[in-house]
Amino acid sequence: MISPRTRELAFLIPAGVLGLVGMASVASARADGFEPGPIPGALGVLAVFLAMHVALRLRAPLADSYLLPTVGLLTAIGLVELYRISPDLAADQAAWVAVGGAVFIGVLVVLPDHRVLERYRYLIGLTGVGLLVITMIFGTRINGARLWIEIGGGQTLQLGEFAKILIVIFLAAYLRDKRELLAVPTRRVMGVPTPPMSALGPVLVFLAASLGLVVVLNDFGTALLFLGVFLAMIYLASGRVAYTIFGLVVFLIGSAAVYTVVPRIETRVQNWLTPFDDAQNQGFQLVQSLYALAEGGVLGPGLGRAFLVRGDGSTVVPALPTDFMFTAVATELGYIGGVGILLGFLVLIQRGFVIAAQANDGFSKLLAGGLTATIGLQAILIIGGVIRLIPLTGVTLPFMSYGGSSVVTNFALIALLLIISHRSRSGAGVPRVGRRDRAAMAAARREREREREAVA
Amino acid sequence: MNRSIRRLYLTLAAGFGLLILMLGYWQVVAADGLKDRPGNEQTAQADKLIDRGRIVSADGKVLAASRAVRVKGQKVFQRLYPQGDLAAQTIGYTSAGAKTGLENTYDRYLSGSFGTQPLLQRLNLKEKDGANVEVSLDTRVQAVAQQGLSGLRGAAVALDPRTGHVIALASAPTFDLQLAVDDFDAIPREGGPLLNRTVQGLYAPGSTFKAVTASEALESGMYTPDSMFPGGSEFDTPGGPIRNFGGATYGPHTLTTALTFSINTTFAQIGDELGADRMGEIMDAYGFGDRPPIDLPDVATSGRRQDGKVLPNDDPDEDTARLAIGQEKLAVTPVQMAMVAGAIANQGRVMAPRSTIRVISRGGSLVQRGETEDLGQAMSPSNAAELTSMMEDVVREGTGTAAALSSVGVTVAGKTGTAESDDPNRNQAWFIGFAPADDPVVAVAVVIEDTAETGGVAAAPVAASIMDEALRVAG
Repeated sequence: MISPRTRELAFLIPAGVLGLVGMASVASARADGFEPGPIPGALGVLAVFLAMHVALRLRAPLADSYLLPTVGLLTAIGLVELYRISPDLAADQAAWVAVGGAVFIGVLVVLPDHRVLERYRYLIGLTGVGLLVITMIFGTRINGARLWIEIGGGQTLQLGEFAKILIVIFLAAYLRDKRELLAVPTRRVMGVPTPPMSALGPVLVFLAASLGLVVVLNDFGTALLFLGVFLAMIYLASGRVAYTIFGLVVFLIGSAAVYTVVPRIETRVQNWLTPFDDAQNQGFQLVQSLYALAEGGVLGPGLGRAFLVRGDGSTVVPALPTDFMFTAVATELGYIGGVGILLGFLVLIQRGFVIAAQANDGFSKLLAGGLTATIGLQAILIIGGVIRLIPLTGVTLPFMSYGGSSVVTNFALIALLLIISHRSRSGAGVPRVGRRDRAAMAAARREREREREAVA
Repeated sequence: MNRSIRRLYLTLAAGFGLLILMLGYWQVVAADGLKDRPGNEQTAQADKLIDRGRIVSADGKVLAASRAVRVKGQKVFQRLYPQGDLAAQTIGYTSAGAKTGLENTYDRYLSGSFGTQPLLQRLNLKEKDGANVEVSLDTRVQAVAQQGLSGLRGAAVALDPRTGHVIALASAPTFDLQLAVDDFDAIPREGGPLLNRTVQGLYAPGSTFKAVTASEALESGMYTPDSMFPGGSEFDTPGGPIRNFGGATYGPHTLTTALTFSINTTFAQIGDELGADRMGEIMDAYGFGDRPPIDLPDVATSGRRQDGKVLPNDDPDEDTARLAIGQEKLAVTPVQMAMVAGAIANQGRVMAPRSTIRVISRGGSLVQRGETEDLGQAMSPSNAAELTSMMEDVVREGTGTAAALSSVGVTVAGKTGTAESDDPNRNQAWFIGFAPADDPVVAVAVVIEDTAETGGVAAAPVAASIMDEALRVAG
């Protein structure tokens, strides 16, 4: 039997090789001769992933084998594509990957058991909201949205990214508490089964607060992400689709109201419906994205060989390294490469939900499910936006977009998932049961079944 | 809770399924449509990465070629047009996504996107390069044609009547083709140099159309070259009387004489007697009303035109007397009139005009041949021979003496035309013809815009110089 960690290492190797080959491919397309520039950085990123692997061996040896290699693959392709767009951005990002790796290892070290988080749910929830408040008060407005906090040296932090993970932890703990109340509605309001307000009230208040903050921050993407994750977790906790549908209806009504009030959103929706009507101004990014994707075709010209950067150094889509990262990859690697990335994210969330299903307790299930839904929804929101499936909202593509806050947050998120995976597989937390106990439990179960049949 | 987890997973997986479908739509289904949208920077850039094939003239001169240059470390190809303003509109240019002329027609071959080439290129089994196109234009004849038109506005077409291959397509004014790729806005636009008048310019044909009428006169069996006409000074029609050029009055004369001196009243009478059906038939046979099938883009259709539309050739309401002398809404392209001259020269057989001989791959293998195309018999060979000798008289002693090449011992057959306008300085002067009359190797059509001269004075000498050079080149 191969140990989970050995299997992980076996899958990390092709991911690493792919990254190095990609770097070489870009370098050969870029320069006349051999360019050694990216080699130290690439080896450094490789070392970071090996360190993360070693940390898992020591702290969570039984954790899922596929998460880290998949993250490694997405990170590698993201870095290669960033290097292709701008070596400076790639160097920056490689440094952030190192920070993310350190945070990943740090989480593994300081948090042997994720269930302690349950105890600090309100502190964590308030911290999440606090980060948003700080952004609202001290934030710098970039491209119309106030998302960034300047921390000196020209560096900015996107606290909303960190808030995201904290809010999922809070919701997992809170919903686990109120799960029974949510699952068993006590009354109906306008035909909709409604749990007692004592259970739902605080959640709605919390949600309204975070949504309100996001509207103030003018960040529709994050608002949509928060709402989606909230509805997904309510569904996980209650098993009732009615809540999700109710939430979506409320959201659609709310959006219609916001649509008329916030011009930014109206523009986004217009661009989605008719991007070619204003192809030189408002629709420019989306139209350029579609042009690039069309040029990439089925097979793509190869890494470093598509027309993504003009002679003057500007990118064909202005937000190419951030929001439009997927466009860059799918253009150079074609439809085949684009589908590969999508399948990579699919593997990621599949593993995440397997971890949630295998977890032993409600909090772990909700936390793993919520974190996984965050990654999945975020990927769908931004990829759907750049290929005009849905209106474009500015969220990052996890593990691939340029941006330190995003990388660090998502690495921490993966660390949490792996801790949950390890805990559920090691059986820790569930009281160990001896053979005699087991026989007694089996007898009790048979007894209960007989009673049920008698009643029927 | 595991059931909810599975359902949530399936919901998100369905979302990814939609992403895969939508991505496929843009990258596969809608890709070609997006690439063709004007202003698509990607397409323009993709063109620069292709080592486009050469366009080479019949006499081996490079008309268009690509040169590799490095821009910011990236290898791109620059299009070169070494012949300057020679046949600029016909060769065409490729810049910023726009393609004209031969660069447009043969883009598929020049850019290497024919057959299995795109697949091989994508798999990196082949360089991105295109095939070479060998055209039938001869730079020496082309230069003489442009020389004859220099300083004027007009067009000249020379073709081999036996095959339809064009030898020269000159449109004046012209422009430096290199400017079209280097600095498009620097091209002086005075006089419409971008217009390829040979295939896009529509002119009143004037008396050159009498060659068409004469063809049907012989084909109908109603007339012979010796048929007699009473002459006079005008011919009455419902649309008003038709008079001769300069108000001349002629005595009784033959059909040959009528053509030689371009007698309007006689041809008006013939047109009137032939009627709409017969006039329509001969116009159909020569190709009027159909787009000339030449391998160039945006070719205009000759015929009776009104408000940009082409009317049927055999409209019973038309004034066939006026039609017979080249009036009555007639608008024709020089290439169409060259087809008429070519058909008479080619024993009545109409050949489709062709600008290309063949397409050759970089490896030297034949990709595509510029097949000649027979469009049918406009008139019998014997009638063509009779019309030829009538047209010899035009050049020997009639209105077209300036087209004669008797100094080099060659007999020329031809017909002049002068389409008058209200402004005496704005005539359109025409000459169509071919040489040598007994064994033609070149047929021409020349038109000069906005001149005070007649076709015999302004256009015939230009046609003579072109035919002279074409004969010299043909040996």
